[in-house]
Amino acid sequence: MSTRRSALKTLTGTALTLSLTETLAAQAAAAPALKGNINHSACRWCYSKIPLEELCKAAKEIGLKALDLTGPAEWPVLKKYDLTCSMAQGAGKGIENGFNNPALHDELIASYEAIFPKLKEAGLTNVICFSGNRRGMADEQGLENCAKGLKRLMSSAEKHGVVMIMELLNSKVNHKDYMCDHTAWGAELCRRVGSESFKLLYDIYHMQIMEGDIIRTLKENSKYIGHYHTGGNPGRNEIDETQEIYYPAVMKAILDTGYKGFVAQEFIPKRDPLTSLKQGVLICDV
Amino acid sequence: MSSSRRTALKKLAGTALTAAAFESIAMGMDTPMKLKGNIRHSVSRWCYSSIPFEELVQISKSLGIESVELTGPEEWKVLNKYGMTSAMGWTDWPKGTGLTSFFNNPKNHDTLVDLYTNLIPQAANAGVRNLICFSGNRNGLGDYQGLLNSQKVLKRIMPIAEKNNVLLTMELLSSRDSHPDYQADNVEWGAVLCEMVGSPNFKLLYDIFHMQSMSGDHIRNIRRYHQYISHYHTGGHPGRHEIDETQEIYYPAIVKAIIATGYKGFIGQEFVPTAKDKAGMVESLKKSVLICDV
Repeated sequence: MSTRRSALKTLTGTALTLSLTETLAAQAAAAPALKGNINHSACRWCYSKIPLEELCKAAKEIGLKALDLTGPAEWPVLKKYDLTCSMAQGAGKGIENGFNNPALHDELIASYEAIFPKLKEAGLTNVICFSGNRRGMADEQGLENCAKGLKRLMSSAEKHGVVMIMELLNSKVNHKDYMCDHTAWGAELCRRVGSESFKLLYDIYHMQIMEGDIIRTLKENSKYIGHYHTGGNPGRNEIDETQEIYYPAVMKAILDTGYKGFVAQEFIPKRDPLTSLKQGVLICDV
Repeated sequence: MSSSRRTALKKLAGTALTAAAFESIAMGMDTPMKLKGNIRHSVSRWCYSSIPFEELVQISKSLGIESVELTGPEEWKVLNKYGMTSAMGWTDWPKGTGLTSFFNNPKNHDTLVDLYTNLIPQAANAGVRNLICFSGNRNGLGDYQGLLNSQKVLKRIMPIAEKNNVLLTMELLSSRDSHPDYQADNVEWGAVLCEMVGSPNFKLLYDIFHMQSMSGDHIRNIRRYHQYISHYHTGGHPGRHEIDETQEIYYPAIVKAIIATGYKGFIGQEFVPTAKDKAGMVESLKKSVLICDV
């Protein structure tokens, strides 16, 4: 296994990579190199310069089981490479316009209702959703509005075996004015919606910016967390020794909660993207 | 904290042979552990209260540590004897004052002005540059009133601090976990107070453990507020134990960021060692110094 790893390490970045990685991918398919405790995934958008098929091949080689933030048109490609989509996108109106705005509820509900059967058909469970920006709205009003809109979708989500997952994002650096920017607010929304079909995406990078206290927070709120994202802080680059979060300890804590879902790498590589992706996966493979 | 310090001192005084014994041990520990010299290392006395003070000074010196902090005037004498310092001085707080009752409560002001008026020249004489101070608990006080009250008393103390080239350093602590209701629980509030006091002799103690509990985002905050920070503390989060791979903060990256701000001061280890035996405690301390020695 380690020979394969070091072979890959030296190979990536050379002109020969593609044809050789194809061969290696075929060999690797039967022999996963990772420990198998964490289900690894990565966000498609962080590797946007790499064509999807090429990314799928590389992901498979590294030992990923899934890609995040892909839509219905991409799922057949993932399937071809024996990957799943651990966090679907393709419904809703983006990060800034979400469930905290009652004027958007009818449109949002139609959009999510339309994607539920597609998810079911593709064998997927998780679909992303957002609170939207505050635009002066108080926390309590935002909770009421979001709960009202999401509750209208829950029986259908449950029927389709789908979980709507709202992402926690920082409102300090990357997504100014985004409402769902604290775990406590998201957890309260989960309590109000009151369905196993609504959970949170705890983004470790975003939450280190907003609140720190990662291990305690994810342990206390584990029943409301349906997915995890990574990223180095500050900078949202590699999750290695260049940044302040010690990911292996966080991953162990996630496993301690009994989590069976995916951890998706969501950093912007500063170096060779696939080498960095592999490094991120290995850092999280506890 | 001060009671354990007193107990340790008492123990030391009670054994006549102790001091001489330590000196002979000291002769054997002549070559301190080699460190890189980019950051100055310190250790908090109270985390090793089961080790007699003079022995802790010896051990620290052998590890390349230059300071045993959260120590008072009697201990400074011992430190000076070994060519060491106290990166953060304190004293026994007068009755009714302490971490939970301090500058934000006007009833303490006269007492604390007297205390620092007396302590600052002692610190200057002992070569101690930083004295710790606290906000006190809120007890219902609003952020702004807490700032005004603290500013008022600090303005009274600053002339003597400036004259003696000594800093008052207010510790930032977690009110979510270790110190419920403590007012100086975020770096923004502390930075505002620094601006209101307007003296280079009042700054903040950025405790990385406590700030991980409250806010995270260390490197960005250190870059933004370093001009108001005169000291740093460590601690593994959660749990306040070793700062190693058992916890969520990656210390080497943070210490590098501290050095990059031009910081010339100390980083004080302030975690509670998991081991309770001396050898285990010293091993933890050594490991933590090496983790921060970037």
